Amino acid sequence: MRRAAKEIVRVEGLVKDFRVGLGVRRKRVLEGISFCVREGEIFGFVGPNGAGKTTTLKVLMGLIRPSDGTARILGHDVRETEFRRHVGFLPENPYFYEFLTGREILGFYARLSGLAGRRIPERVEMLLDWVGLSHAADARLRTYSKGMLQRIGIAQALVHDPSVVFLDEPMSGLDPIGRKEIRDLILRLHGEGKTVFMNTHILSDVELVCDRVAIIVRGAIRYEGCIAEFLDAGELATDLVFGRLPASLAVSLEERFGPLRGQGGRLELRVPDKAVHEVLGLALSADAQVVSVTPHRASLESIFLSAVEGSAEAVAGKAS
Amino acid sequence: MASARIVTLAANTMREAIRSRVLYTLLFFAVVLIGTSVLLATLTYVEGHRILQSVGFAAIRLFGAAIAIFVGIGLIHREVERRTIYTILSKPISRAEFLLGKYLGLVATIWLQVAIMGLAFAAVSLLTGAPLNVQIGIALGLAAVELALVVAFATVFSSFTTPLLAALFTTGIYAIGHLSRDLRDFGANSESESIRLAAQILYRILPDLESFNFTTQALHALPIPSNEAVLALVYGIGYSALLLLLGVVVFERRDFK
Ligand SMILES: Nc1ncnc2c1ncn2[C@@H]1O[C@H](COP(=O)(O)OP(=O)(O)OP(=O)(O)O)[C@@H](O)[C@H]1O
Ligand SMILES: [Mg+2]
Repeated sequence: MRRAAKEIVRVEGLVKDFRVGLGVRRKRVLEGISFCVREGEIFGFVGPNGAGKTTTLKVLMGLIRPSDGTARILGHDVRETEFRRHVGFLPENPYFYEFLTGREILGFYARLSGLAGRRIPERVEMLLDWVGLSHAADARLRTYSKGMLQRIGIAQALVHDPSVVFLDEPMSGLDPIGRKEIRDLILRLHGEGKTVFMNTHILSDVELVCDRVAIIVRGAIRYEGCIAEFLDAGELATDLVFGRLPASLAVSLEERFGPLRGQGGRLELRVPDKAVHEVLGLALSADAQVVSVTPHRASLESIFLSAVEGSAEAVAGKAS
Repeated sequence: MASARIVTLAANTMREAIRSRVLYTLLFFAVVLIGTSVLLATLTYVEGHRILQSVGFAAIRLFGAAIAIFVGIGLIHREVERRTIYTILSKPISRAEFLLGKYLGLVATIWLQVAIMGLAFAAVSLLTGAPLNVQIGIALGLAAVELALVVAFATVFSSFTTPLLAALFTTGIYAIGHLSRDLRDFGANSESESIRLAAQILYRILPDLESFNFTTQALHALPIPSNEAVLALVYGIGYSALLLLLGVVVFERRDFK
């Protein structure tokens, strides 16, 4: 395991209060959160809308000041700036200078990050190619689509070859092909030994790429650890769809697993994961027709809901 | 290192201004006004040159200030509002460097505009046979220093308030700055000791923009005492630096959300 790996991000007791209205009332958005990200991992920072993911990331990027607690990246307090040459950041719905072209803006960010000379055009061309924007490199960003801006956002986050990358909803605004490309890019960074921190509320993205997650609900960390363990703690089930099902089997399945839903000659049944093998065996030996087998993943939101309602105390209890 | 980053930010700020159409509109009107003054001058028989040059000179100073205020009031606010500042500050850029880079970029832009208007002024003067002298150059230079101070006000206001309020504040400061000497003199003639003192203090705090005004000397070819010119230069740079320092202190504490 990676127990001994270096800590790249360390957040301790982080509190953020926002002023509401004219600044008299305060709203606590982060309730003293703590977590850490280790070298080389893809870390998912997961939570429902409004949980405080973007707020946490903005504190890490020095864009908002913590009300209490500390946040360190690569051992540096987030108020410092020099260490940021090793850090890349993609904001949520990124927005850039529209009067520049794709090539110009990447050159601009490269220079700001301390690159100089020949390395600038080299890196710029490479990144344009990585994110698939070489064809639009000389068009002003004003003419870019949402997905193209997201790609420029990713390119500027990587242009200075940082060792840690922070991504806020990196897949948002992208088509399925784009999502896959970004996933591959993230895995490629992982392969190069970089540390990736990503905010998301999309469970499938987390499952596919993340090593470890922290789950934040209403400004508090509910879980920190491996994603698989967290999912195992929730109820896992599989949806089976049958085209033809002998009546006798149908009756016995309904007795065990609840009512069959269906229409137009198709019958659907949800069974616990551990019973899938047995049910499929029964169905096949009874000469039933199996149309599809789909693992059913409780949506992250429903897991959050249960976490909020306290029915997942066991999950929270497993948090490190 | 820091200076390279400031230059990058400043150059980009200039590039933005040069690529936006608004500036050309303003510049166009300024050149038109300078041209109109020629027309006026040819229609008048008495002291045609003087009218030509004083209208032209006033046009340069006023349009310079208009551009400084117009662009300056949104300089920082727009970056925060449009969130372009997020990615910039995630690079190794301190907030002080950001503010300074934006400020210097706008100053350079405005100086470029003043230079263009100055060239138009000189061309028109040559064409109409109006006299050109060193004083005109010095006076234009000091007008440019005044504009740098106006930009500093606009930048600092724009780092914590909306363009509308920043426009009100900066225009207010510009007007007051040209009246602050009158205020001082008015106070000095007062019977009451406390009013005299209050006027003194106010005069010290408020900018004295008339100290950059050498129009009369320039247009009448009167000598500009070098100590006065140097004093104005030092005053302008010092005041701007102090303002920017104040702006950085406020800006450092801000949350961008
Ligand atoms: N500037 C602000 N002033 C007051 N409250 C704010 C401000 N910004 C965010 N909040 C509140 O802080 C909470 C967390 O917001 P945040 O943007 O961090 O959520 P998030 O987890 O990123 O959500 P999403 O998945 O929708 O991006 C929300 O309840 C939001 O209303
Ligand atoms: Mg968010």
